[in-house]
Amino acid sequence: MSRPVPPESDAQDARLFDPAFLQRLETLSLISRRRVQGQLRGERRSIVKGRGIEFDDYRPYEPGDDYRYIDWNIVSRLDRIFVKLFSEEEDLEVRLVVDTSASMAAGTPSKLALAKRVAAAIGYIGLSNLDRVTVTAVASDRGPHLPRLRGRGRAFDLLRFLDRLTPSGETNLGQALTRDLGEQRRGGLLVLLSDLLDPHGYEHALLQARHHRFQTFVIHVLADEEIAPQLSGELRLVDVETGRAIELSVDAEALREYAAARDAYFRDLERFCFRHRIDYVRTASSVPVDLLILRYLRQGGLVR
Amino acid sequence: MTFGAPAALWGLLALPLFVLLYLLRVRRREQSVSSILLWRRSAPSLAASRPSRRIERSLLLLLQLLAVACLVVGLARPAVIGRGVAGRDIVLVLDGSLSMQARDVAPTRFDRARAEALEVVSRLAPGQRAAVVLAAPHPLLLAALTDDRRALAGALRAAAPWDAQGDVAAAVTLGAAQQPGPGGQVLVWTDGARGALPSVAGVTYRIVGTSDDNVAIAEFRVLRDADGVRALVRVANDGGAARQVPLEVRLGDVVVYRRTVTVTPGDTWTAVFPVAGAGVLRARLDVHDLLPADDQATAVIDPTPLPSVLLVSRGSPYLEGMLRVLPVARAAETATVSPATWSRFGIVILDRVDVGTLPPGNYLAIGTVPSGLPVSASGVVSHPTVAAWDRDDPVLRFVDLSSVRIDRALALAPEGGRVLAEGAVPLVWAYDGGGVRIVILGFALEDSDLPLHVAFPILVQNSLAWLGGAIADARVGDDVEVPAGAAPAATLTDPGGGRAALRPVDGVFVLPPLVHAGLYRLSVPGGADRVFAAQIGAPQASVIRPGSAPAGTSAAPVQGPAGVPQTVLVRVPLWPGLVAAAVAAVLAEWALATRRSGGDA
Repeated sequence: MSRPVPPESDAQDARLFDPAFLQRLETLSLISRRRVQGQLRGERRSIVKGRGIEFDDYRPYEPGDDYRYIDWNIVSRLDRIFVKLFSEEEDLEVRLVVDTSASMAAGTPSKLALAKRVAAAIGYIGLSNLDRVTVTAVASDRGPHLPRLRGRGRAFDLLRFLDRLTPSGETNLGQALTRDLGEQRRGGLLVLLSDLLDPHGYEHALLQARHHRFQTFVIHVLADEEIAPQLSGELRLVDVETGRAIELSVDAEALREYAAARDAYFRDLERFCFRHRIDYVRTASSVPVDLLILRYLRQGGLVR
Repeated sequence: MTFGAPAALWGLLALPLFVLLYLLRVRRREQSVSSILLWRRSAPSLAASRPSRRIERSLLLLLQLLAVACLVVGLARPAVIGRGVAGRDIVLVLDGSLSMQARDVAPTRFDRARAEALEVVSRLAPGQRAAVVLAAPHPLLLAALTDDRRALAGALRAAAPWDAQGDVAAAVTLGAAQQPGPGGQVLVWTDGARGALPSVAGVTYRIVGTSDDNVAIAEFRVLRDADGVRALVRVANDGGAARQVPLEVRLGDVVVYRRTVTVTPGDTWTAVFPVAGAGVLRARLDVHDLLPADDQATAVIDPTPLPSVLLVSRGSPYLEGMLRVLPVARAAETATVSPATWSRFGIVILDRVDVGTLPPGNYLAIGTVPSGLPVSASGVVSHPTVAAWDRDDPVLRFVDLSSVRIDRALALAPEGGRVLAEGAVPLVWAYDGGGVRIVILGFALEDSDLPLHVAFPILVQNSLAWLGGAIADARVGDDVEVPAGAAPAATLTDPGGGRAALRPVDGVFVLPPLVHAGLYRLSVPGGADRVFAAQIGAPQASVIRPGSAPAGTSAAPVQGPAGVPQTVLVRVPLWPGLVAAAVAAVLAEWALATRRSGGDA
């Protein structure tokens, strides 16, 4: 299959489709620590045992079993009839959830830009491995949705969809994921790309993903100015999502207090994810995508 | 601190209102952020939004509050009362009297006064001028108005009290004459021991001294009469308690008189005793009082203190008798007027003889007026009375003319010189100029009863002494002139050993002021030294009882010797500094605000 050619107008995505980078992406695959229950045959060991090629177990013969799966060597040794069981190789449900709230416009490049590129890369890896890739934009509710792409040929659809995403609206990840995952019961891999600056809290959203049997991987994207604000003086800080404001006298002491609150926030988030077996990687929007995919996400256990 | 308009301090209540307005002003810079979640999650960060924190952190507000506070307090016209100086120019007057050497204020009254004056000088504001005047027998301007603190301090340190009575009133007048300008002040340090102090506007007196305990040798001199040489000692008790004081008088190393003297308070004790021989006579009181300087005195017994004398007269038994008893070097008499021979005598007495123009020399003219002098006789007056005479002049010192009766006298019409005694017309006249030194008695001895009075021998002796240049009975503060003769220079050695070179002016050596009592030596190259003693300026100079400042003049109270020196209490206004601080605060606030582009200025 020929490699896809990016749209001429999308200069950012052009980087994703740098041939060398794509070639390296094609060597990667998404890691799923769980056995998957897919809908089509794929390259993942399924929880459904059947006609796969990878031996899994034996069980006593039952009437109706396919004679071809009887292990005659066992029969000759034990004089009992056993049939061999093979793991079904099914496709992996990969759900890419991209936070498109207004706060994702912050940063240089913007957090949303990085999130889209990372989603494109992960999606491309999934498509290359015959996984089913679903992309959902979330803000205060579920936004545009691109369901179940499969095969490398759908990469353009993935990229076009991501390219159209723009930041707007407030953040309510819990509500949005509840809507998105409402009928989903098969599980899979859920990658959430968000700044997690959710006034309603991130806990409900992440637990929702766990509740729907998804192996959850959180890529926490933050802008540099959120990590280390370069502010000073008498300020009225206005939240771009809610419009709410807070008046502050920002000086060195206030910045120290902010840093303390930030570190406590990160610490709580990391503990929460560890406790609920959620993989977590935090990155700044200024980190290059290739570095993030090829090093940090590999170290974080998302790709191999 | 005092306030001239304390009601203005109510304006400080505007400061909280100012702060409130500051807080109400919407001046925050609006900044969009992706989320205020982390800002809100930080509980301590909420402190950053407290209004008090804004006040704490706002240098601009603090500067504005400072400016307003300075202006408000400045309007209240604050001032501090402290030791310092007031006004612009200051004239510092130090009493240089003998009594200022009293030790009732440590170390002495004068030293204390000088220390306080130095402190005033040290407190002078930049550009503020001061002058220094010493109240000596004649006031001395030690430093004219200047803002040179070093010069002022130097003048004060060089100042010293005299062994005489200072003229504080004249010093105050001299100080006021320095024209200290509007707001100027004359600060006088004195003990006020010699009568009332002048009440002059703008004069502040600092009375120094606490006690009057002093026994003094008020007078000590040598008397000569037909009986020989005698010494006179007068001891005065100016304190408040009777004193028994050992007195000892020595001639050279020989004690010639010794006695324990009992003196009641405010009284004097006098002794006159014969002294044989010549030399330096020293009297000493063995007493511990507050003023040691007047516990000793010196006099000189000169065997021939008067020069040679030629009496030109048609016959005068009084004068002839006087010349026999007076200690003149040589005496001669003649009835012939022969000026060519007069140069061989130091003094020529012209008794009722007409001589025309006098050759240079020293003359005592009695009942005659030579020509060529700035005086003439315009007739004769009958029965003139002696209404006044100059007791301080060396010619009339100790001369009492009050009871002298004169039948007739020449009507002297002086055009110069100095009148020493006068009634309806000048009666005694003296002149020194053009090589002629002369004393003229306007009446003949035979036309008066003067020869019958004690004043006569004293007058003759004083006249001969003055004419001959003898320095007898000199007192501190006297202007002493000594005929130079042919001497081109002389050296005066004072009691302390200090030397002064003298040059003749108009035929006389003008001695520098005699500051201290004691023995002086005038040395003339090629000639014999002349030794004379200077007595304390005036008998009442030994009175040390502190006086009081006149009513209406600000005065610092008297303090004990152990008390803290009290300098002049002055009111120093603070509003100029506060206004300056307010202006500085406003300028700083403006500069800071303009530097903060887009800030909360």
